[in-house]
Amino acid sequence: MKTRWPLLWLALHRRRRMLMALVVGMVAFEALIVVVANTIAPGQLFSAGGKGPPSAYRAFSGSGGDVSIASYPGLLGAGLVHPFWIAMQLTAIGALAAAAVAADVESGTIELIMVRPVSRNRLLAERTAAVVIAALALNAAATLTVAAGVWLSPDIHRDVPLSGVFAAGLMGCGFALCLAGPALAVSAWGSRRAQVIGATIAIGAVGFALNFIALAWSKAAPLRFISPFHYYTPGDALAQGHVLWPQLGVLVGVGAVGLILGHALLMRRDLAP
Amino acid sequence: MDAIELRGLTKRYGAVVGVEELTLGIGPGEVFGFLGPNGAGKTTTLRCLTGLLRPTAGHVRVLGMDPLADHRRVARELGYLPGELRLYPELTGAQTLDLLCSLQGRPCTRRAELCEWLGLTAAVLRRTVGGYSRGMKQKLGLVQALQHDPRLVVLDEPTEGLDPLVQETFFELMEQAAADGRTVLLSSHVLPEVQRACGRVAIVRDGRLVTVESVAALREARARRIRLTFGDGKGARPLGRAEQWAPRWEGDRVELLVPPSEVVGALRELLTLGVADVIVEEAGLDEAFLDLYRNGKAEGAAP
Repeated sequence: MKTRWPLLWLALHRRRRMLMALVVGMVAFEALIVVVANTIAPGQLFSAGGKGPPSAYRAFSGSGGDVSIASYPGLLGAGLVHPFWIAMQLTAIGALAAAAVAADVESGTIELIMVRPVSRNRLLAERTAAVVIAALALNAAATLTVAAGVWLSPDIHRDVPLSGVFAAGLMGCGFALCLAGPALAVSAWGSRRAQVIGATIAIGAVGFALNFIALAWSKAAPLRFISPFHYYTPGDALAQGHVLWPQLGVLVGVGAVGLILGHALLMRRDLAP
Repeated sequence: MDAIELRGLTKRYGAVVGVEELTLGIGPGEVFGFLGPNGAGKTTTLRCLTGLLRPTAGHVRVLGMDPLADHRRVARELGYLPGELRLYPELTGAQTLDLLCSLQGRPCTRRAELCEWLGLTAAVLRRTVGGYSRGMKQKLGLVQALQHDPRLVVLDEPTEGLDPLVQETFFELMEQAAADGRTVLLSSHVLPEVQRACGRVAIVRDGRLVTVESVAALREARARRIRLTFGDGKGARPLGRAEQWAPRWEGDRVELLVPPSEVVGALRELLTLGVADVIVEEAGLDEAFLDLYRNGKAEGAAP
């Protein structure tokens, strides 16, 4: 094993099977969504009885605007905010963020690493890179699968430009970073991987629930601003064909703040089991 | 300049004291023992030395540098074996050594020689560490600590899990390190280990330094074991002032550990009790150590 980034290599090497399984799962799931969209028109799927789906269903289409789930962008967007998609993102980010610091502290292996000429900056940088690579791999798998489906299906391609698919993919990376920053901060502070995985799930799953409640219940509408799903809107990107930069900026900004906080916490803490 | 210099080192975990006001100097090229029972603060001290823990108070210098502020420079010259060695179970032995060598950023010139000494064959190194016995893991731990030929070696309970033959090899390694002028700090609760390898020893208790002595001086100052046989079959009986040395009775025979300065006076009194036989001998170093603990003899002793 000869590598310039041994800590990055170690984090990915130890979780390579899980990451492979998640990438394969992501490809299979997105392929299924594309096949469903291509087989049954979304209007038919969601408008039985002549009524459109309730507006709260925008939470399931990944739209902060007017993209209904009963449309091609909405249906493909649903595949990019589906609980299955969220679960896969949370698993990858939670596992690799936990591996950044907390898992090594919990298992005691941090002693072997940090008695070497390895700065805390380097530890965090290489481990952050591992999270970013995992998130990129998962989002690339989803994006390329959807892009292939859109390219192969003239019906879908009429409503969804390929640029929109790649824009949604970029938003997905922003969403992953938005989860990863705070998760890395918890890892830099904590001593147990369960703390990191718990925090990641809380941000992802609770964020989704908050966004849904905010869309369904007008009195809770302000809550949507604290949910990452208010900013992660792949349905809108798919419909409009471009990146929604303000929303992406918020997602990346939250991730960056988490990372800065993680750095500050790591510099001050003890590194021993 | 000392290779390791601690002045008033204090580390607290909330209300719990890890070490308190520890002051100690270890010279370059010295093989130094750090002795104490489990929970005495040995590992906490070593972790402060290696920059893993941030001291609550006090001054720590390792090779003239601050192990936190100058971590990368200190760590380059450091070889460390943790007390509870944890490895990545899915890596092979060779991958583990490669990984740690790569992090060390120095050529690991001694790996082949050390593996040969410790019996870590190529076949063993190809296996994943998860399948290693405790002794094998400890051997791998020793190789990773020494493979880059560090100037300063810090070993926490190094012979734990090693069979007697490999322990012999370990002591040879320590002798070689001493001959090469390397500084070795060896923490242990096993006295013969320290006695064999070290020139000086610090004894810690409840996070505080009890004493720092040369092994020779500790031997010199150790208690004398007095064995008395009464030969009348009457069993245990009051021993007067000698009761303070916790006599251990076995039938009508009794054994006491008496400080050297008290031996003559104690014998004078004990021989008035109708003793049939008496043996006076030097206690082992382990008994001297236990004596320090039992009687708190050196409490408050200056380092």
